[in-house]
Amino acid sequence: MSSITLTVNDQEHTIDVDPDTPLLWVLRDTLDLTGTKYSCGIGLCGTCTVHLDGEAVQSCVTPVSNAASRKVTTIEGLSPDGSHPVQRAWAAENVVQCGYCQTGQIMAAAALLAKEPNPTDADIDAAMAGNLCRCGTYQRIRRAIHRAAEEGGKE
Amino acid sequence: MSTHSNVTRREFLKVSALAGAGLVIGITLPGCKPSPTPTPEPTSTPEPEDWLEPNIYLKVDNNGGVTITAFRSEMGQGIRTAIAMILAEELDVDWSVVRIEQAPADPAYGDQMTGGSVSISGHYLLLRLAGGVARHMLITAAAQAWGVEPESCSTESGWAIHPDGEQRLPYGELVEAAATLPVPDPLRGDAVPIKDAEGFRILGTRIGHWDTPQMLDGSAVYGIDVKVPGMLYATVARCPVFGGEVASFDAAQAKAVPGVRDVIEIDAGLAVVADNTWAAIQGRQALEITWDEGALASLSSVDIREALVEGAPKPGEAAADDASGWDAAYDVPFLAHATMEPMNCVADVRATSCEVWAPTQNPQAAKQRAVAITKLPRDAVQVHVTLIGGGFGRRLQTDYVEQAVQISQAVAVPVQVIWTRDDDMQHDFYHPLSYNYTSASLDDLRRLRVRSYPARSGVPTGAWRSVENMPEAFAHECFLDEVAAELGRDPYEMRLELLSGREKAVLELAATKAGWGTPLPEGWGRGIAFHSTFGVTPVAQVAEVSVDEGGSVRVHRVVCAVDCGTVVNPDTVEAQMEGGIAFGLTAVLKAKITVENGRAQQSNFHDYPILRIDEMPTVEVYIVPSDRQPTGIGEMGVPPIIPAVLNAVFAATGKRIRQLPIRPEDLQGT
Repeated sequence: MSSITLTVNDQEHTIDVDPDTPLLWVLRDTLDLTGTKYSCGIGLCGTCTVHLDGEAVQSCVTPVSNAASRKVTTIEGLSPDGSHPVQRAWAAENVVQCGYCQTGQIMAAAALLAKEPNPTDADIDAAMAGNLCRCGTYQRIRRAIHRAAEEGGKE
Repeated sequence: MSTHSNVTRREFLKVSALAGAGLVIGITLPGCKPSPTPTPEPTSTPEPEDWLEPNIYLKVDNNGGVTITAFRSEMGQGIRTAIAMILAEELDVDWSVVRIEQAPADPAYGDQMTGGSVSISGHYLLLRLAGGVARHMLITAAAQAWGVEPESCSTESGWAIHPDGEQRLPYGELVEAAATLPVPDPLRGDAVPIKDAEGFRILGTRIGHWDTPQMLDGSAVYGIDVKVPGMLYATVARCPVFGGEVASFDAAQAKAVPGVRDVIEIDAGLAVVADNTWAAIQGRQALEITWDEGALASLSSVDIREALVEGAPKPGEAAADDASGWDAAYDVPFLAHATMEPMNCVADVRATSCEVWAPTQNPQAAKQRAVAITKLPRDAVQVHVTLIGGGFGRRLQTDYVEQAVQISQAVAVPVQVIWTRDDDMQHDFYHPLSYNYTSASLDDLRRLRVRSYPARSGVPTGAWRSVENMPEAFAHECFLDEVAAELGRDPYEMRLELLSGREKAVLELAATKAGWGTPLPEGWGRGIAFHSTFGVTPVAQVAEVSVDEGGSVRVHRVVCAVDCGTVVNPDTVEAQMEGGIAFGLTAVLKAKITVENGRAQQSNFHDYPILRIDEMPTVEVYIVPSDRQPTGIGEMGVPPIIPAVLNAVFAATGKRIRQLPIRPEDLQGT
């Protein structure tokens, strides 16, 4: 166990934790930020996607020690009131079905748009192919990303 | 303003059952946290003080707010929203005043099992009447205040309207008086008007899921997000062989993992109980267990199939009996549900009570199991239903609930049991492996027969989105395509002759919208299929595919036509068709479970790959307008896509594939 200082959604937390613990479980179990979901545990599905210094990473395979001294953003910190352009576009396109993977999808899409404000379908495929959705909302995710790009995809 | 028609006495009998069913206890989802970044309420509406609560489905408060109780489980099919839309329609209120609470397990709601795509079809009239009862009581209260006949009054968007068309009273102001009125009772011959379809303002409109804002900001509470004070976390090590048991174990290493509290034996295996999920996972990895693998230790899916085929007819036999006999066989493997949220459950078992929070499609079965395990009286056991991160039939089972209850009972604190992805993949209740022998006489295709042989091998099996309809549609519709080719017929035109009425109309709509018969790029193929899942919702799909040199299939476009009767929410119908198609595409293109040495060989998304965004075709959904009673939509998109794709592959390559999923080696060099 060691003491680690984490900056999550602009708030500093000092926690006593095994440094190998995946960031996912620190977010969910220790900091009570349950918007970041668990699904595969080995970096295959994107459900647990968060931003580390603005980059989309899979928190289930990111040791918490790697996140120390970097800026962690979770779905809870993406916007103060759910009004990030990606969240608005997701609502406008009625993307969600069960909704479980969608916080990860949104974080991946927000990172894509921050880097590429006008993504092509190929850009979307490349950036989002690692984010699985068993409900099959992909067509609407694609539409929502294009909509967010049109309506201001940059953070 | 809406037009209304009186319902018959027979229809009324149902609503009297509702009216007498008692009041719902206002339980919201436990652990339902405020949004982490709460925003100020737009208006400072005071807390309600009075309610009209005429039945267990809704209540209206003195601010005009409407609280609806969803009594079926939400797993993405939009049922919470759909139930609320029906009630709000007949209550005649704006959607913006609606909020939704989830019912706990309670037989007052009938069998709450969410399966078979029947949540709407089984409750449509009942819910309309339940809303109508409340509206009628509010109208009556207004009429009494005005000294006029209730029949002369009307309503609009949460207001009762005087016969003069000028005076109006908001529902909120009528609640106190309405609550003192008798609830309309058919045994006394009371009449409750419900709307004519022309008067619908909510039904038939596109409304996003009511839970959307919480799902998009991370505050929605799924089973895995439930937190109870003092809760510990548990993982369960189970024998990888189906039916195997713990022979002996050494927990010393596991208990040495920081954060691990205890290791206990439960029916399913060994539970590692810890302060957090990661410690529970680490602790489990450190367990040393010797398994008694039991009777199925040498079971394999190859052997299971061989045994099935041995006792079944084989291709070629039909021609032996009848010169025009034609037959073929189609193979379906075991398939996993692979819900994105793995199985999990929270239980808090005390000496005199048991509380369970479960992402379950089957709350009353969960309650029964909790009662059986704890031996507590039924009244002492509460089962709360959370949002579900994907169900598809998997969560009709109660195995994960039983684990949570047993562990909490043993350690006497609240416990969340959480399955890893490996647990979830390897201890599913799979869609059964099946062999599907199909035959017909080419002289009479109406006597086409699919004989399905699902495996009963000891491998756990259960309902998987559309259940037996998937193998049925696969065999029936691929076989028809083969017959059409044999007879030199167009597969669409041949089907037209075999179908009639609504079914034929759906097929025609799909073919027309798809441009059946129009040219496609070189190397592409188009396939068509039809199936009416559970015999209630006809769906036809046309798939366009291409096959590359390496034998990889790409599905470019799917056109889907559906007739589900009256449409509650067209956006949801489209979403369910899109989702059903994606679910079926995983089965036809990508994934299967194989059993070897008595265990599932797949464990995660690398070896049970599900459809990705770059593999999703463009899906177009067309809904046949209808004023019939609503049928179901949750499962109906799945079955036709499998034969539609396989028939398109034949059109592109001339090769028939009769087993799932397609393997590139089947199509290489085509």
